[in-house]
Amino acid sequence: MTRDIPDGWRLTAGLTGVAIITWLFAAWLPGANDATVSAAFLMVVLVVAASSRLAIAVATSIAAALSFNYFFLPPVGTLTVAAPENWVALISFLAVSLVAANLSAVARAQTDEATARRDELARLFDLSRDVLVVTDSGAVLPGLARSVARRFDLDYVGLALPRLGEWDVFDAGATTLVLDPAPLAAAFAAAQTTLEFDAYARTYAGHRTLAIDGLVVRLVPLRVGTKPIGLLATAGRAVEAGTLDTLAGLVAIAIERAQFLDERKAAELTRQSEALKTTLLASIGHDLRTPLTAIRVAAANLRMTPLGEAERLEQTTLIETEVERLSRLFQDILEMARLDAGAVLHEVRRAHPSEIVAAAREQAGRALAGHRVEVRIDPDVPVELDPRVTAAALAHLLENAAHYAPAGSTIEVLGGTTDDGVSIAVRDHGPGIQPADLPHLFERFYRGEAAQARASGTGMGLWIARGLLAVEGGRVWAENCADGGARFTISVPDAARVVTSELRRA
Amino acid sequence: MTALARILLVDDEVAIQRAIGPLLRSRGYEVEVAGTGAEALRHLTAAPPDLVVLDLGLPDIEGTEVCRRIRAHSAVPIIVLSARAAESDKVHALDLGADDYVTKPFGPEELLARIRVALRRVDSDASAVTGQLTAGGLTIDYDRHLVVRDGVEIRLTPKEFELLSLLARSHDRVLTHRAILKAIWGGNAVEQPEHLWTLVAQLRKKIEPDPGTPRYLISEPWVGYRFST
Repeated sequence: MTRDIPDGWRLTAGLTGVAIITWLFAAWLPGANDATVSAAFLMVVLVVAASSRLAIAVATSIAAALSFNYFFLPPVGTLTVAAPENWVALISFLAVSLVAANLSAVARAQTDEATARRDELARLFDLSRDVLVVTDSGAVLPGLARSVARRFDLDYVGLALPRLGEWDVFDAGATTLVLDPAPLAAAFAAAQTTLEFDAYARTYAGHRTLAIDGLVVRLVPLRVGTKPIGLLATAGRAVEAGTLDTLAGLVAIAIERAQFLDERKAAELTRQSEALKTTLLASIGHDLRTPLTAIRVAAANLRMTPLGEAERLEQTTLIETEVERLSRLFQDILEMARLDAGAVLHEVRRAHPSEIVAAAREQAGRALAGHRVEVRIDPDVPVELDPRVTAAALAHLLENAAHYAPAGSTIEVLGGTTDDGVSIAVRDHGPGIQPADLPHLFERFYRGEAAQARASGTGMGLWIARGLLAVEGGRVWAENCADGGARFTISVPDAARVVTSELRRA
Repeated sequence: MTALARILLVDDEVAIQRAIGPLLRSRGYEVEVAGTGAEALRHLTAAPPDLVVLDLGLPDIEGTEVCRRIRAHSAVPIIVLSARAAESDKVHALDLGADDYVTKPFGPEELLARIRVALRRVDSDASAVTGQLTAGGLTIDYDRHLVVRDGVEIRLTPKEFELLSLLARSHDRVLTHRAILKAIWGGNAVEQPEHLWTLVAQLRKKIEPDPGTPRYLISEPWVGYRFST
């Protein structure tokens, strides 16, 4: 590209060319005819016109015309022209060289513009790609400003969005600026009231320039369709007005898209919580109705039907079991409501892991009646935690194991004090967990494929266990054992250690 | 009561089996229990029962599907147990040929009454070749299109008679709105229950001793109507 050479040099080169031709013909080819000389001058003018601005080409052609007249048209050595046909030669030389210079300049301007357009189109295309790959709405706006600055080599890019009378500005680029709200508001107000298309500049009016810290900042309204939603501020490289409009349009679409993503996410959350409520009602509905029916019928059987001693005992046991099941269900619902409300009381004290296991077994007592439980806790060193909450979570894991492992099988409780707290695993010898269920196990009301076939079970237990543990910073995870059966492990940090390590960090 | 009717109880909940089994046995029924739909269908072919009590929430096959399969080769009365939340399942089961339903949680008398009615209907169906039905003071003569209440003939329009005989031929059994609409107005009318409301109101005015508290045409809210004998 030749555009980096300063105009002075180009003019000098043109005039030098004229001088060289003059000298060549005057000193070496004194007898050459006028047509040959004018053709040589014309060549210089065309070369200059092809590579320089119109003004330089015109200056060169006037210099060439004067030189042609002075040195070659008789009377030589004066600027006067004697023969009328030489006037014609001189004027046609000047005319041809001016027209040629002009044509060449127009052609060059078009080429330059096409190149610039291609360049800007490429930048716009890259930017649109940046915009479309964004899926996380949270990072859209700062990311968008960065993309514009990078793709258009701008020193400063700011996205100013009005929000309740204030301006949210997301900026990027090497230069830092502070945009004053007043001109932003004025530009935005103007964009809201007028929309004119400037056919000459191929742009929608409403562009403004501000001078901040000696920098020229250009403000362009961001429009979705015709509605302005904010302003784009740029500084640095000059970007053509039409391109700025397109750029602003693209940015506006990207912002709209981000807002759609947000709205869709919110709608999805609402839908999920609705679905959750429906599942809750259906699930609790079924789990309430069955025991209630059984209790009602069994009570009537006892009252109205002549029964043998064994049958009376069976009906009584049935009532007790079902009442137990109901109260367990109520306890779960209450615990769930407390977790939802963030109202789980959390009391830390020193406790032995074995104490927690004993409390959990007690709590899960009835469910564990059909299974052998083997406990191995080692080392059994006391730690600071909430034993009540931990035991409640462990009880849910024990119930879960008892629910899925066949009656009569062994449930192992293994674990003890670790470096940073307590870790206890519940391992059963049941069918294990379906791989498809693993990621969802701790979701509320989630019940595995196989579990859905069984009537009992609400899908609340594991969710509650996880929620309870989270209250004291602990966690729970599940895995299948290589030799069959599932293992659920809880890990609760030692509150004393958490505090000291935080102090150390501070 | 029929001597020792055989009842097949299909419910996967052990608690329900343990409560209802003794209840029915103590009333003189012979009871068999199935915990799954597949088991129920096996029982049905091996030793056909006189009545099936079917829970809709089965672990292996949908209750409605069990209902459909039973109806494919047997006219045995089916009483469906369902939760109130599963309203649509209940209606679906009735459309597929179930005879009646009881909503959980139910009391023992409610279930026993439904079982008695369903079994009685089977008996009267067997003797229903006379082309006549008498319930209380009301006599319906299907062949002569004649309805007499307390010795007085009641004039009914053809549609009214059609509705009355439809319900009376399935007396003591719930017919769903959908089934009635389809039978009387054809398949295109099933989404226009207002026809039915109007016709039932007209019919009640003519045949009920007190149209405000119907004795014959009983509404089953959200489900359908039942002709009570």
